[in-house]
Amino acid sequence: MRGRNAAIAVSGLFAAAVLGGLAARSNRPAPIRQPPREQAARQLDLGAATLAGSVLFDSAVEHYRGSFEHRGMYVPLAVASATIAASLSGARQPNRMRTGVHVLAMLTGVAGLGFHIYDISKRPGGWSWQNLFYAAPVGAPGALSLAGLTGLAGQQLRTGQVRPDSQSGRALAALAAIGILGDVAEVWLLHFRGAFHNPAMVLPVTIPPVASLCLAGVAAGAGRPSLRTTRGWLWATAATGLAGVGFHAWGVHRMMGGWRNWSQNLLEGPPLPAPPSYTGLALAGLAATRLMEEAHE
Amino acid sequence: MQTPRATGGRAPDVFTPGGWVPMREYDESEEVDFVIVGTGAGGGTLACKLAEAGFSVVAMDAGPFWRPLEDFASDEAEQSKLFWTDDRLVDGENPLQLGSNNSGKSVGGSTVHFAMVSLRFRPEWFKSRSKLGYGFDWPLDWREMWSYYREVEEALAISGPVNYPWGPPRPRYPYRAHKLNAAALALAEGCEAMGIPWTETPIATLSAPRGRARPCVYRGFCVLGCSTNAKQSALVTWIPRAIAAGAEIRDLAMVGRVEVDGRDRATGVHYHRGGEWRFQRARNVVVAGYAIETPRLLLNSANSRFPEGLANRSGLVGKYLTVQSNQAVWGISGKEIRSYKSPPSLALTEHWNYQDEGKDFHGGYCYMSQGPEPQLWANTQLASRGLWGEALIAEMQNYNHQVGLKMVGEMLPQERNAVTLADETDQYGLPIPRVTYSWCDNDRAMIGHALDFMGQALRATDARDIWKQTDDTCHLNGGARMGDDPQTSVVDADCRSWDIPNLWICDGSVFPTVGGVNPSLTIQAMACRTGDRIAAMARRGEL
Ligand SMILES: Cc1cc2nc3c(=O)[nH]c(=O)nc-3n(C[C@H](O)[C@H](O)[C@H](O)COP(=O)(O)OP(=O)(O)OC[C@H]3O[C@@H](n4cnc5c(N)ncnc54)[C@H](O)[C@@H]3O)c2cc1C
Ligand code: SF4
Repeated sequence: MRGRNAAIAVSGLFAAAVLGGLAARSNRPAPIRQPPREQAARQLDLGAATLAGSVLFDSAVEHYRGSFEHRGMYVPLAVASATIAASLSGARQPNRMRTGVHVLAMLTGVAGLGFHIYDISKRPGGWSWQNLFYAAPVGAPGALSLAGLTGLAGQQLRTGQVRPDSQSGRALAALAAIGILGDVAEVWLLHFRGAFHNPAMVLPVTIPPVASLCLAGVAAGAGRPSLRTTRGWLWATAATGLAGVGFHAWGVHRMMGGWRNWSQNLLEGPPLPAPPSYTGLALAGLAATRLMEEAHE
Repeated sequence: MQTPRATGGRAPDVFTPGGWVPMREYDESEEVDFVIVGTGAGGGTLACKLAEAGFSVVAMDAGPFWRPLEDFASDEAEQSKLFWTDDRLVDGENPLQLGSNNSGKSVGGSTVHFAMVSLRFRPEWFKSRSKLGYGFDWPLDWREMWSYYREVEEALAISGPVNYPWGPPRPRYPYRAHKLNAAALALAEGCEAMGIPWTETPIATLSAPRGRARPCVYRGFCVLGCSTNAKQSALVTWIPRAIAAGAEIRDLAMVGRVEVDGRDRATGVHYHRGGEWRFQRARNVVVAGYAIETPRLLLNSANSRFPEGLANRSGLVGKYLTVQSNQAVWGISGKEIRSYKSPPSLALTEHWNYQDEGKDFHGGYCYMSQGPEPQLWANTQLASRGLWGEALIAEMQNYNHQVGLKMVGEMLPQERNAVTLADETDQYGLPIPRVTYSWCDNDRAMIGHALDFMGQALRATDARDIWKQTDDTCHLNGGARMGDDPQTSVVDADCRSWDIPNLWICDGSVFPTVGGVNPSLTIQAMACRTGDRIAAMARRGEL
């Protein structure tokens, strides 16, 4: 059973990355009361790991479906795993390797974007709905870049390379706002492809855009909406990402053969690992609001 | 299947293996509002509309009531159980090949094994005589039909392109187009090389879940019955709705005769079920047995007041039978095509339906990608190219690389193309139909044009060893055409027969012309309209 072996392999990779990262971290004693900067850094770590986890599983599923036609299709799996480990290991000292991993993730995402754009443009019909729906997804590799950026931000915050002031808070808010908006575009495209056949499919294209707008307000320094409101929408977005896994599991059940036919329907049905990318980005947004708050205080 | 399933107050639940749904039943002595003969695109749709409008309805079909999830096998021979293969005689200069490619015998009719292509008529075709100078005008207005097309597209959740390249703007299809298979991409490549538009085919199979139906799994067994219920046939759409609204479906019920009294009113139907002849009383009778069985039943129901057959004072019952040309070009691609994967016709071009310049013939045609199953493919090689033995085996080695384009073309209605009765009788003792068909010069000119054009398009891809399949036809229409004048038509715009006011005909046989697209969407739209018209007439006391 190739499907089962592949599923075990990818889960193993994920577990190794998470455990490896946490093992590196647990060498240090945890501080008793965390300063907001530390909290923000932790949220960024977690956000980056969540994003990278989503990319790891999603690219594993999609590239498996594409039969790993060429070697490059393994790259996001390796880089995403490394990003998970690097983000979870969060240490105080600057570390070349961690920085390297995060930069690599950013570059891999950009390269992936290039490959996916090339894949679309060479098909009959070019930039048609058909190809936007069914060729390599344009936006997906961007999530890996965002994971790298978020992880880097967390690391630099912790090591003091970046000051926890309102300026970095605003920059981070802008990053999260743009990231969420990109995700919304991708989700809208794929849910439009599914003709929004289930009313719940509207949630991820209504809640996160509001969160993104709030963050944009924060980034612009408009002072409105309030940080509290923004945080509310960000938590709602994070919840949407987690609930999405449940909804997609329901979607898999509605395919022919349902979960009994998992090895086919995990590939053909709605992607289970995709929605948590919202959660990852929402965590980055929450970190931004933390920084702003500290600056206020 | 020999024993009726829809009995004892329940009918098979098409969405559950072994399942049942409650079904209302009517007594034979009870005069129901409507008895409908045939439950396909026309009859199944109308049964739903009438039941939902509150009429009492009994719909009969000569075929069985399947549960696709458990009754359909991935086996071409087994699935021939869906076809109408009762004895029929064919003659004329171009005798039709009847059976798999044109008629079904099941609850749900031919839609149980149709290819799901769901196209709208070009507006001008409803007035092709006055607007385009050939054929006959329909007594229907295209704008009204377009609103009924919409109703059907929603009822079947048609998956189609976001923007349709031809004709007046239409609302967005309810579901998005499917992913194109390699055969469809070859069509696209050919069209782009020839400089004409192409599009994803609007198709009646789900690209996302819907109710209790699962989305398509791209197994490609569509024209042999879809075992997932992704295909939105009448069996899984209109029929369950009809039953829920109180209609009774009688499966394995072959109607042999419509009874008409001395006041020229239909009183019910004689039908064969469970080994005996029975009679169901009705206030109205609708015949919807498709273009051969409908005229046959009307002719077989002749009596002393209607010696030439029912509703036949115009002498046109059985006349103007019109099929569609279904010729193809085939070749072998260097790439692996595996055209059997996915529904067979995922991409098409209607260019030559909407382009009137540069044609030496009347009418139009579309052409689409193809995906024949292996047994059908071997048959095609034998019938069209005479391959057998070693040669056939060698050719079948190319199966995964074969790629083709197939037309659906408008043949012109001719009076000599007709359904009449033969002297022989069938298993029920009923005279069997004789189907006479000859092409006209216009038909030949269009086929020639299409074969040339499709050949060039296929050559523009990497296909080689290109050959033409010149003999195929599909889709039966006409035989009881509608019109404005009782002298020159059998039914009026409401599908009501001119001669017997409570006898209706609602299926493909009322088409005056056939257009260059597959007919089922138009049949269903017309049935929806007829349902609404009957309800309106009933409200005004005009039935
Ligand atoms: C292989 C194939 C592919 C096709 N592909 C397409 C396509 O892609 N797109 C498209 O638009 N169209 C397609 N068609 C054509 C389409 O299926 C028919 O045009 C349409 O179903 C005709 O509708 P109808 O109601 O007139 O007849 P049918 O759907 O054939 O229904 C007639 C029913 O009446 C029953 N019946 C007949 N006589 C009697 C009687 N005396 N007593 C009781 N019952 C009777 C029959 O058993 C049958 O079930 C295809 C057809 C076939 C066979
Ligand atoms: S390809 Fe789709 S529509 Fe055709 S038989 Fe299979 S599931 Fe049904």
